[in-house]
Amino acid sequence: MNARPMYLLSVMISAALACTACGKSQGGAQAEPSPAPQDHSFSTPLGQRAGTGDSPEVLSTPNPYEGSKEAAREGQQIYLAMNCTTCHAYDGSGNQGPPLNDTRWRYGGLPIQVFNSIHDGRPQGMPSWKDKLTDDQIWKLVTYVESFGGTFPASDWQHAPQGDVENENEAPEAQGQFMTPVPGTVPPPAPATKPPR
Amino acid sequence: MRVVLLSTLLLGIPALAAAGTPLGIFSDSGHDAQEISRLIALFGGVSIAVVVLIALLLASSIWHRRPADTSGGRPQRDEGGLPWIYWGVGISAVVLLICMLFNLGTIAAVARTPDDAAITVQVTAHQWWWEVEYQDPDSHKDFLSANEIHIPAGEKVRILLSSADVIHSFWVPSLAGKMDVIPGQTNVTWVQADQPGTYRGECAVFCGAEHARMEFRVVAQTPKDFEAWKVHQLEDAPQPQDATTLRGRLAFESRCAACHTLRGSSAAGMAGPDLTHLMDRSTLAAGTLPNDMGHLADWIRNPQKQKPGTGMPKVPVSEADLAAIVAYLRTTH
Amino acid sequence: MPPISPSHARDRIVVSLFPFFAVLITGLAQAAPTPSPAGASFPTPAPAPTSASIPHKSVTGATLNFAPNEPNGQWQSEAHDWANTRYSDLNQVNESNVAHLKIAWTFSNNTKYGQEAAPLVVDGTMYIVTPFPDDLYALDLTKPGNPIKWKFEANPSPMGIGKACCDVVVRGLAYADGLVIYNLLDDHTVAVSAKTGKQVWRTKMGNVQSGETMTMSPFVVKDKVYAGDSGGEMGVRGWLAALDVKTGKELWRAYATGSDKDVKLGPDFHPFYKWMQGKDLGVTSWPRDMWKHGAGASWGWVSYDPETNLIFYGTSNPGPRVPAERPGDNLWTSTIFARDADTGEAKWAYQFTPHDQWDYDGVNENLLMDLPMDGKVRKVLVHLDRNAFAYTMDRTTGEVLSAQPFAYQNWSSGIDLKTGRPVVIPKMQPKPNIALKVCPPDIGGKDWQPAAVSPRTGLVYADHFNLCMQVTDKVVGYIPSTPYDGMDMGRYPAPGGNLGAFMAWNPVTGKKVWEIPEKYMTMSGVLATAGDVVFYGTADGWFRAVDAWSGKVLWSQKLGSGIIGQPMTYLGPDGRQYIAITAGVGGASKVRIDTNLMDKVGFPAGGDTTYVFSVDGISANSSGPGMIETPGQGIKSIPGPLPPSSPPPPDYDKHKATAPPPGTRRQP
Repeated sequence: MNARPMYLLSVMISAALACTACGKSQGGAQAEPSPAPQDHSFSTPLGQRAGTGDSPEVLSTPNPYEGSKEAAREGQQIYLAMNCTTCHAYDGSGNQGPPLNDTRWRYGGLPIQVFNSIHDGRPQGMPSWKDKLTDDQIWKLVTYVESFGGTFPASDWQHAPQGDVENENEAPEAQGQFMTPVPGTVPPPAPATKPPR
Repeated sequence: MRVVLLSTLLLGIPALAAAGTPLGIFSDSGHDAQEISRLIALFGGVSIAVVVLIALLLASSIWHRRPADTSGGRPQRDEGGLPWIYWGVGISAVVLLICMLFNLGTIAAVARTPDDAAITVQVTAHQWWWEVEYQDPDSHKDFLSANEIHIPAGEKVRILLSSADVIHSFWVPSLAGKMDVIPGQTNVTWVQADQPGTYRGECAVFCGAEHARMEFRVVAQTPKDFEAWKVHQLEDAPQPQDATTLRGRLAFESRCAACHTLRGSSAAGMAGPDLTHLMDRSTLAAGTLPNDMGHLADWIRNPQKQKPGTGMPKVPVSEADLAAIVAYLRTTH
Repeated sequence: MPPISPSHARDRIVVSLFPFFAVLITGLAQAAPTPSPAGASFPTPAPAPTSASIPHKSVTGATLNFAPNEPNGQWQSEAHDWANTRYSDLNQVNESNVAHLKIAWTFSNNTKYGQEAAPLVVDGTMYIVTPFPDDLYALDLTKPGNPIKWKFEANPSPMGIGKACCDVVVRGLAYADGLVIYNLLDDHTVAVSAKTGKQVWRTKMGNVQSGETMTMSPFVVKDKVYAGDSGGEMGVRGWLAALDVKTGKELWRAYATGSDKDVKLGPDFHPFYKWMQGKDLGVTSWPRDMWKHGAGASWGWVSYDPETNLIFYGTSNPGPRVPAERPGDNLWTSTIFARDADTGEAKWAYQFTPHDQWDYDGVNENLLMDLPMDGKVRKVLVHLDRNAFAYTMDRTTGEVLSAQPFAYQNWSSGIDLKTGRPVVIPKMQPKPNIALKVCPPDIGGKDWQPAAVSPRTGLVYADHFNLCMQVTDKVVGYIPSTPYDGMDMGRYPAPGGNLGAFMAWNPVTGKKVWEIPEKYMTMSGVLATAGDVVFYGTADGWFRAVDAWSGKVLWSQKLGSGIIGQPMTYLGPDGRQYIAITAGVGGASKVRIDTNLMDKVGFPAGGDTTYVFSVDGISANSSGPGMIETPGQGIKSIPGPLPPSSPPPPDYDKHKATAPPPGTRRQP
């Protein structure tokens, strides 16, 4: 019997086995990717809407699962299992709770603000999930909410509270930041972009 | 030649090894399994007989080979080959006919769900655990369990199979054949265990990362024991008797109730298994871990380490709360 | 009447004689083929339809009991009487002049949710309650411009906003003994002094954090207030309680699920049909202990029969809304109870939809009347249920005498009168994760919007839906303070394409007498009047007056927002009849609508305005010439003449309609 094909076959098999032993992206040992939300005990600048009174370095907190379809899928499972569906509708269009698929956010539409609303609860009937869900699960929910298309990217942290949209003009007097953050603590402002679908 | 010897060995070793193991397809204790293993025995026997026969014929034809060619290359006609063909086809046809009839008979015996099933159990497969619901015409006697199906020995049990997510397959080798569990439809199978005992089951269709850790058990009991078990399952978990178990129940209701049901507490979540009588089960997490205190604590502390990708998240819980929760869960007999 | 200085006294005497002459002349003119008004100062009414073409004999011969017989021209409760007739004796506005109705004055209450309550008018004051934040206004109808006398701010907790499934509405007020009583969204019942607007008592009835809210209008009978909870989609436990009117203390509470003791089923309880006979069915008809979150909330209407001293009310759907999770009949949800008004002990009950699989609550109103059926006069109640069947039931025993569909439905092939159970079509039962199209949708053939009945025509008037739903059930767990629901659903029109309709229903034959299909949903209460005109409104804002006999639309007026509230009528201090409706769309009509339906429907934006109509829009204190206030001299207004009343039909005897049949009166 010709031995060469056998050797090639066994090499291929062992190579395949070796690859599967590497950490898989899904289901593998999950690292703890969520940065624990930072301490929110900063003083509230005046004139901000409810929920946007946090300092810039908090507001610009990115979603660790930004753009991940897998995380959005898992977030959808949580959305169904935690009964979010009846209050916010199966497609996010709202019911007894406000819609999640439009750009009107009572408590802010930046990722960290949506996270806080889920984590802390809100006065008009939104329950607090911090005891029932891990931070990781809440970020996956945020990712799913982002997939409805109504949230703002974290890079929009200074534009979203001002109602700025893409393709707008800026009068010279309105340019620049209103509140000057402490140098070196915040990433430079980036143009507003929508998260990948 | 080597191939033949090798394949015989390869066939024989697993068969010999399987006899006497929990998933052994030859250790049949149920009606279905007996039918199927009879069929396996017949087909296996026929196959082995055919192989042996052919091997003998081949060996004899090699032994009695023709002498070296001295005729100068002129082909000689050899008469008398036809009878071999007649005999071969004839015997094969008869044997295959017998096999087919036997096969049809086995299918008939196994596939038809009897109308006189003593009880009906609704099994819903999840990734990666088994939800078990006992239905009763008196809806008040309806209850939920997980990963362990108790049945009365010697009686037919109808099992309704549905899936909450992807395709799984319900297989208790010692009792019956496989039945796929397909989302969007309810498949029906039935089992009957002749003797009381514990029979292991597996998910038999690849269903995701933890497919290998999706075992279940079928526990056959005498009808008397089974009735007692059912009555016990309808009871709520006992109330906490001391400070630790009370703290455990409160912590459980706060952290775990969104996904689990535990009658006797206010927990009524449906995303994960019903834990009302967790301590009555022999394993945790669908056969992943043995059910004892140490493993329970390990599981709650970090389920992702024990069964990566499982639906239960690593809920941050202080060691004190964890100990209290474990103490409370240990009362769920 | 606004104060008039003595120099106008003579004018007043002259003017006050005009109605007498008007009636005299009009009566004489009826003999002539073309009646013409006498006197140049009368507004010219439209030519009346000739009486010869309209039947004047009651179609069904129904007799109604209008106890407690509110003073003429007032509207002291949402249903106007204990029997829930919503019928007014006023007949100034009638088929001859209803086409001349115009807005006399309006009032905006500055809220942004659905407006479902009817204003009350008691002794010259109009009481208007708003949706969240549940404010209460008292308007002084005797003063020019109907100014606000006082405003009561209830200040309920905003947490209820996220717990109320179908908008944060308040379905009405109750008035008793100088108190205006209503329920707050956050599970408090409050009584406010009608004179001063100060709170007299407030009772906490439940915990809004658990998901329970209160939206129904309380119901008062003598010394008791009846109030129930909402939350059929929140896994609450349903109940109805009786409070003492003076102090607000809870006297008893009857649950909708649980042991016989909790549900107050005692030795006097005799349900007519078999499946409701047994012990502790409120526990055993549920798996395990799911009755604890089985809902059965009482968020609808209560009626009262003084002869038998029974109250009648219904309970909501069972929870969760996924029937596969709760096999069993799920008693006592989607059920009507007849309870002793004093003790709360049930006399009978009837479950309209056993093991309800489609959210067909049983909370709709029960109209009490006596109907001649099969040669005998039966004491019945008429109930148009969410499950699209109209029931005529014996209200002393709970027997179903007739049950016919009044709206398009395909979940049942009928109610089997022998067993009392609906015959469910097997493939119309939803299974988890499988989409199913079924009619009617969750809001039913008709929702809470109450019907009215007229003793003159003997017919029941109601508006209903013509909708279906596509529903996919998803298994849900109970997590406190979150919904316990599971229905993924979108609604779409049923065959016919119209989303709503207004009909006259014959409760004896179980048939529609006539029906007006409406392009958009009709979700308003109905008002019936002695002028033989009935009123209703549509979800896109049309308020209509219809001839009670023929179904001809006599008048329509487009209002600022959709109408999901209840119209009422009253006699102003100037002796004029007014009709009031608060327009502001919301409620379940805006909830969970399929997107395609939404585009077709084009619901108006919300509103908060109470519109008050009168003939030609004349109102002695809020509309017409003059009326500017001069410092030191008050307001000058020229009261206009009153429109003539329509004569009653030849064989109509008002007194016969209000008295119970002889020999049956029980002392209250």
